[in-house]
Amino acid sequence: MATNAAVLESTRPKAAVHTASKATPQPYMNSYLAGIGLGLVLLAAFVIMGRGLGASGAFSTLVSSGVAAIAPEHAAGNPFYSEYVGDGTTSPFKDWLVFEVIGVFLGGFLSGTLSGRVKWMVEKGPSITTRKRFYFAFLGGGLMGFGAKLARGCTSGQALTGGALLGAGSWAFMMCVFAGAYAFAYLMRRQWQ
Amino acid sequence: MTAPFFKFGYFSEDIGLVLAIVIGIGFGFFLEQAGFGSGRKLAAQFYFTDMTVLKVMFTAIVTAMLGVFWLGVAGVLDLSLVYVSPTYLWPQIAGGLVLGAGFVIGGYCPGTSCVAVSTGKADALVYLGGILAGIFVFGELFPAIEEFYISSAYGTLTLPEVFHLPYGVVVFAVVVMAIGAFAAAEWGERKMAQKKENKT
Amino acid sequence: MKNFLTLLGLRGRLAAMAIVFGALAIVAGDPYTGAHASVDTRQLALDVFEEKDHTSTEQLAGWIIEGRNDFRLLDVRTEQEYAAYHIPGAELVTIAGLAEYPLRRNEKIVLYSEEGIHAAQAWFLLRAKEFSGTTILRGGLEGWKATILFPRLPDGAGAEEKAAFERKKLVSAFFGGSASVGGTASATPSVEMPKLAMPVPKSPAAQQSGAKKKKEGC
Repeated sequence: MATNAAVLESTRPKAAVHTASKATPQPYMNSYLAGIGLGLVLLAAFVIMGRGLGASGAFSTLVSSGVAAIAPEHAAGNPFYSEYVGDGTTSPFKDWLVFEVIGVFLGGFLSGTLSGRVKWMVEKGPSITTRKRFYFAFLGGGLMGFGAKLARGCTSGQALTGGALLGAGSWAFMMCVFAGAYAFAYLMRRQWQ
Repeated sequence: MTAPFFKFGYFSEDIGLVLAIVIGIGFGFFLEQAGFGSGRKLAAQFYFTDMTVLKVMFTAIVTAMLGVFWLGVAGVLDLSLVYVSPTYLWPQIAGGLVLGAGFVIGGYCPGTSCVAVSTGKADALVYLGGILAGIFVFGELFPAIEEFYISSAYGTLTLPEVFHLPYGVVVFAVVVMAIGAFAAAEWGERKMAQKKENKT
Repeated sequence: MKNFLTLLGLRGRLAAMAIVFGALAIVAGDPYTGAHASVDTRQLALDVFEEKDHTSTEQLAGWIIEGRNDFRLLDVRTEQEYAAYHIPGAELVTIAGLAEYPLRRNEKIVLYSEEGIHAAQAWFLLRAKEFSGTTILRGGLEGWKATILFPRLPDGAGAEEKAAFERKKLVSAFFGGSASVGGTASATPSVEMPKLAMPVPKSPAAQQSGAKKKKEGC
């Protein structure tokens, strides 16, 4: 299966292939096979846990716990933080999503190591400085964090999970993610092209 | 009906956390294999040069959707025990637009940024810091926007309920739509590649 | 046939598989058919002990005033009682019809009856079927009348109680009730009961128009 995918991938246009690293990383898996793999992992989460995948929830736990550690009263008075911090009977980090995200880091590293793609570098287009790229990364991350909380989930929790379960709000969300990204793509073209 | 296993009490919450890591590893593995550890590959989606995001995402949705449907119909999975996040229409529309802008500006989404960090992308690390800051800003503003946050609530609303169609019909429609989108994506990628060749 | 399949290539084969499974889905029926019932008696007992099985009348009134509709309010009394008066937004369900009633296991459900016995029985049935977000309205409809529709400020109340009563007055007016000051508790029913007819014409109309407006957003 994997060799089949590699052959398929190598016949595709060179523009899609990662060119930044000097080492010889293996080509990416065929998109559809990777998608099926991702779908089966999601299905496993439904069957085993009765819930989907997520990512941003774990970061909310981290932020809320941080706020609670620095200003406990402030966190307790804010319903957003206090929901993630919990009632103090168990650690807020003893949470399903937190452990799942730890797994995501491990899985990404595993895959990257196997395919020779782990390398310290900055992802950017050729016509932008690293410093500027970092500004944009921080700004984009900030918008992402804010938007994900407003929508009650990110691309994993809402678009993938809710999409597979045919949630109405999740599909509306997914369309808006693409709309928002395409709307800003032109302004950002110098960063990537 | 024997699934979801956790909801039927086949294992404890602690075992569930171990399984969370295992499921997370699978999630991270396929995200990285798909190429989502690269911000440029992700962003290329929005310049029509590389439609991997659309292809992987919709293949995953179709796979999981068909799996859930058929396991539900076969009586293996009690779908009503699977958590479907409730619809809050306007907050989700607004959140989606903001998140989409963040996607193309930052180059990642929360899940893919984890994978990018673990494969050594420095910009993804900065991006993660940005996410934490964004969540902090949201938390600080929460009392002011709570009213909007809980507005236009429809409870657990699914597309079959919105369109008054049988579940299976919507499943088929999503499959057809996805395959149409894939065909369009393949065509678009070829066009863009030709355009690039003509330029050089 | 085999030749045809190899001609299709990987993408084509995957697409064909998806189409076949998708097309069969049209005639396969509904996946939401689970009718499993299991009772975790320890969990139920714990929830009752910790008072997690109740929603207070004040909380419910607050939700209705905020216009939230992320919860379901079920009236398990008789049709006549429901027609005479019900809390705005409540849906009439008989206990016998509860099993077939379209509810979701991840929904917040609030049950009420006249005093609470029927609601408690319905609560147990729903919890047994894993509707884990089910709660009983504290005090039932009697409690709703006493605390929301017709609150009473007892004689000799302190300043704090008086301030709280001002808020209660507004809430009561919102639901078409009336607040009163002083008097003994025993005299309450004879004064209040006739007034109960008042909110009847008002609340269903208000509730309908409110519900319609929200649905239009979609």
